[in-house]
Amino acid sequence: MINICRRPSAKLSKPARCFRPYSLANGNIPPWRPSNVLDEWVQREAHPISLRQLTFFGRTLTESRLLSSANYVRLELPTRIAHRLRNMQTLPYSALTNEHISHVYEAYYRAFETFRKVPEVRTLDDNDRFCEVLKTTLKEHLTVIPRLAMGILEIQDSVSGDECDQFMNTLLRSRISRRVIAEQHLALNETFHSPWHFDGKKSGTAPEDEFVGEIFLKCNAKEIVEKCASRASELTRKAFGPDVALPKIILQGHLETTFPYIPSHLEYILGELLRNSIQAVVERRGAGRDVPPPIEVLICEAAQHVIIRVSDQGGGVDREILPYLWSFAKGPRRNKRLQNLGKVPRLAATMQELQIPPSSDPDSAEAGSSGEKFGSSLASLSGRRPDLRLGIGLPMSRIYAEYWAGSLELHSLEGYGCDAFLQISRLGNKNEVLSTRASMDAV
Amino acid sequence: MPLGAMRRQLVSKATHSARSAVVARRRWQSTVQVKKVTDDDIAQLAAKPLHPLTLTDLVQHGHPPLSASALFHSANFTLSILPSRLAHRIQSLRSLPFIVVANPHVSKIHNNYVHSLGTLLPYSEKRIESLEDEIEFTKVMADLVQIHSNTISILARGFLEARKYISPQEVTRFLDEHLRARIGTRLIAEQHIALHFSSKPHNDLSDSDIHDQDHSSYIGVIDTALKPADIIRSCEGMVGEICELRYGVRPTVVLNGEPETTFAHVPMHLEYIITELLKNAFRATIERGMEREPIEVTIAPAPEELNKTITNFDQGSVDAASESDRPAVSASGNIRLLERSTPGVTIRIRDRGGGISPENYAKLWDYGFTTFNEDQIDDSVSGGGNTDALSAISGVGGGSSLAGLGYGLPLGRAYAEYFGGGIAVQSLWGWGADVYLSLRGVGKIN
Repeated sequence: MINICRRPSAKLSKPARCFRPYSLANGNIPPWRPSNVLDEWVQREAHPISLRQLTFFGRTLTESRLLSSANYVRLELPTRIAHRLRNMQTLPYSALTNEHISHVYEAYYRAFETFRKVPEVRTLDDNDRFCEVLKTTLKEHLTVIPRLAMGILEIQDSVSGDECDQFMNTLLRSRISRRVIAEQHLALNETFHSPWHFDGKKSGTAPEDEFVGEIFLKCNAKEIVEKCASRASELTRKAFGPDVALPKIILQGHLETTFPYIPSHLEYILGELLRNSIQAVVERRGAGRDVPPPIEVLICEAAQHVIIRVSDQGGGVDREILPYLWSFAKGPRRNKRLQNLGKVPRLAATMQELQIPPSSDPDSAEAGSSGEKFGSSLASLSGRRPDLRLGIGLPMSRIYAEYWAGSLELHSLEGYGCDAFLQISRLGNKNEVLSTRASMDAV
Repeated sequence: MPLGAMRRQLVSKATHSARSAVVARRRWQSTVQVKKVTDDDIAQLAAKPLHPLTLTDLVQHGHPPLSASALFHSANFTLSILPSRLAHRIQSLRSLPFIVVANPHVSKIHNNYVHSLGTLLPYSEKRIESLEDEIEFTKVMADLVQIHSNTISILARGFLEARKYISPQEVTRFLDEHLRARIGTRLIAEQHIALHFSSKPHNDLSDSDIHDQDHSSYIGVIDTALKPADIIRSCEGMVGEICELRYGVRPTVVLNGEPETTFAHVPMHLEYIITELLKNAFRATIERGMEREPIEVTIAPAPEELNKTITNFDQGSVDAASESDRPAVSASGNIRLLERSTPGVTIRIRDRGGGISPENYAKLWDYGFTTFNEDQIDDSVSGGGNTDALSAISGVGGGSSLAGLGYGLPLGRAYAEYFGGGIAVQSLWGWGADVYLSLRGVGKIN
């Protein structure tokens, strides 16, 4: 084949180690595949699922329900992946042949091929085989996020910042939705096979206490904040030394509030916010000074939503990076972020270990209790050292917040501190209220 | 004492220097010359590009007292840019639907602008080179400022009456541009007047009670050592007294952060903004029964940074409802910032007043236009009915009848944004609201 890919940029200002040349020799170019198979699936419409449907399956679990859930997932996943593949195929050539983007593209294509070949699920055995396929694929895709982030930073020359963000947002939203339905099915499968389940029994005891798959109907904000706070503080201590003066985290407001959410998502968001705040305060105050100013977390509930405000006195956001706060396409700190992304534990290969939480975090053995059963990529990201700044915490948190019809906003008082506002849509205490919420599943 | 008199007294306390200037101006009003304005004049002037004013322009003459030649320079500079600004305003008004401009209130404003342009036309060929000319010119400026002091409330009434013929969006669009341009025009005029009064050649000619304080930190209307904490305390006092009269209770304000901060800004502007924000916070707090919870005001000075240009966007998250993601310089030639970066201040006002409902939040930045029902509108239009004392006070220029028309927030934001700052409102519905007022200093002046 003619080597038509020369080193693309004559822009010598970039350090060579960050921007790799697009040469065929590196094998970055994905192989050509006939597009008619993909076309067929791209033409199908994805069927969004509402939270009501998700939990409905969990209420009265029978064999037939389990099998129909399996078939729903079996068809939805390849349909949705096909749409994303088509998105990626329409990126500029130089973007898709970037090492990281092409890695993700290949992973997606493999998943697509795997899923589209799964035959109809008719028996419990079929279902078991299908669940194994699901688990394996979920694990394989755990490194997608950091890879994508790195790819985005590297393709800034061919694709504008805005397009990058749009692309990333679409991809990540779709990814969340696919993982939610896959993990939901796996959770139902587990419930069905658990020793205390029998066919047709209504699951759970008191309706308020239950998990419905991954969704915990009674997330208590206070508990989660306290858990994230202690985790973030622990990590900071490990990075800065045991003598570092950590700011106290003070909780105020409606502390008894509960709402349905997927705990690992909430822990990720709050973890990022608290980590940012603690880090800012510690870095600003320096060692051996007076008691650092506390971080104030306010929880307030209304009929329709819950708002969590995290307020720190960490000096605010630097003016030069403020415009890029919510973007995956970073500005002045691009190179540094790239380097750090490369260092995230377990980014590169060995997927198998990911079943076990990172060893640096001994108390995440309890990760299962918060619903992270199937290997959470969020856990590997959250378990990183605090001084490894990736620059994706805020935009990612916003995607998660918005996935559940919420929002994330940040106000910076330059030179003083930051206020972050996480708004969570609340469904009311009765499960039946679920139907009044519009379907939020993104395809 | 009747409420009206007390209101006037309180307002005048807060705007002391402005009041003194007004007193002086009134003496001169009737002697200004007017020339007839033709459509050609307007077309010609409006065709000229607007000079992008910088604050350096305003303070280029240095600290007062100015020498006579510096004063002439200021006058000539003002002369070179004002006529085209006024012409642009006239054209902008004329592009509104006929039936809207035919409304007596809107028409009055239109005529005011034409009149003011007429007072400037006699100077179109001359330069100001003598003390008498300069005094005449300053009278013209005073006339301009005086005549246009109630533009906003009059326009507001006009648009209310003509609401059937123009959509709220068009009104918002027009007002956003018009009011921002107006801030600039008034600033140029008031700056010259203030420089005139604080300069030696005239101190013998006019009354000496113009200056009761030592205004050495002032350059015209800009105070280079403005302390936000002082403004906040005085506005707190004024708004608090009204609350006590009206509601019987008075919330308190707790200041934290760095209250000793000073920076360079226009005191009148800051007073207006703070008054509006405190009014909102106080009223919400009282109506929710939370008056024992203090309103927390944090003053945070931004760190100094050299050689950077700052834009509106640097304020952080701009709240979506405001749609203020326009470029920092609009076609009407708003003031651009000084090239040398200036220290700024962020002021955060936190209240427990229950917050803003999602429905109202969407309309927060509208000019009060869409939140009225027909009865309320009729009341406002006939000038009566509104006994809400808090609504009745409004900042700059004294107790005008912007009463309850919902202009406070959008106007406040126009002032804040004018020098590259902004206002962001974060509502915690069911709890309270956090308002972030960020202000850029008005320039490092040597």
